[in-house]
Amino acid sequence: MRVIKNLLLILLALLVAYAVIMTVAELPPYGQPDNPVHNQVAKRYIDEALEETGALNMVTSIVLDYRAYDTMFETIVLFTATLAVVITLKTGKGEGRRK
Amino acid sequence: MSGLLEKLLINYPYLVAALLFTIGTFTVLTHPNLFKKLLGINIMESAIFLLFVASGNIRGGVAPIRAVADGEAVYINPLPSALMLTGIVVSVSVTAFALALIVRLYKAYGTTDMRRIVARRKEVTGDDGFDQN
Repeated sequence: MRVIKNLLLILLALLVAYAVIMTVAELPPYGQPDNPVHNQVAKRYIDEALEETGALNMVTSIVLDYRAYDTMFETIVLFTATLAVVITLKTGKGEGRRK
Repeated sequence: MSGLLEKLLINYPYLVAALLFTIGTFTVLTHPNLFKKLLGINIMESAIFLLFVASGNIRGGVAPIRAVADGEAVYINPLPSALMLTGIVVSVSVTAFALALIVRLYKAYGTTDMRRIVARRKEVTGDDGFDQN
C-alpha cells in the first residue's frame, strides 16, 4: 500500500516536471530585448518614471507611485496575516488562552 | 530532441525555476512532517519569484536605477521585480500563518507528523476527519 502510494506520488511529481519543462522549452529566449515581456508598459516606466515620480529607482516609482494602491492593500494583507497569527496563537483551549 | 535541449539550455534560469518548483511539489507530497511541507511550499514560491524576475532580465542590461547608469545604458524591465515585491509579502504572510497553525497543532497533538495527527484523531473521535459527509 505504502509502496503503491509512493510510486503514484513519484509519477505525479514526474508529470509536473514534464509539464513545466515542456513549458520552459516553449518560453521566449532568455535575456533578449525584444521579448514580449518588454512591451510598451515597461518602456513607459523606464522612459517617464524620473519625470513623473521623481524617483531615481524605477522599482521604487512603480511600487510607491504607479501601483500605490497595490502596495496599500499589500500592507492590509500583512496586517490581516498578523491578526490571524495572533488570533490563532492566543485564543482557544490550551495554555495560551486569555483569561 | 536536441532542439528541445538547446531551448532548455538557452532558458536555463527558467529551467532552474521549473526544477525548484518540481522539488517543492515533491516535498509537499511526500513528507509527512508539516514543517517540511511548509518548506516545500516556500521552495515553490521561490521558484515563481525566480521565474518572474528572470523573465524581466536583458543580457547586458543594467539595474533600473538612474544614479548607477551612464547615459546610453539598456535598463532591464523593472515591472517583474516590483510585482515580486508584492509576491514576497504574500509569501511571508502565508508562511507566518501556516507556522502559527503548526504551533497550534503541536500544542493540541504533541507532534507535527501528519500521519500521527490523523492516527490520534482516529483514536479520539473514531473518524480520521477526512470524510465528513
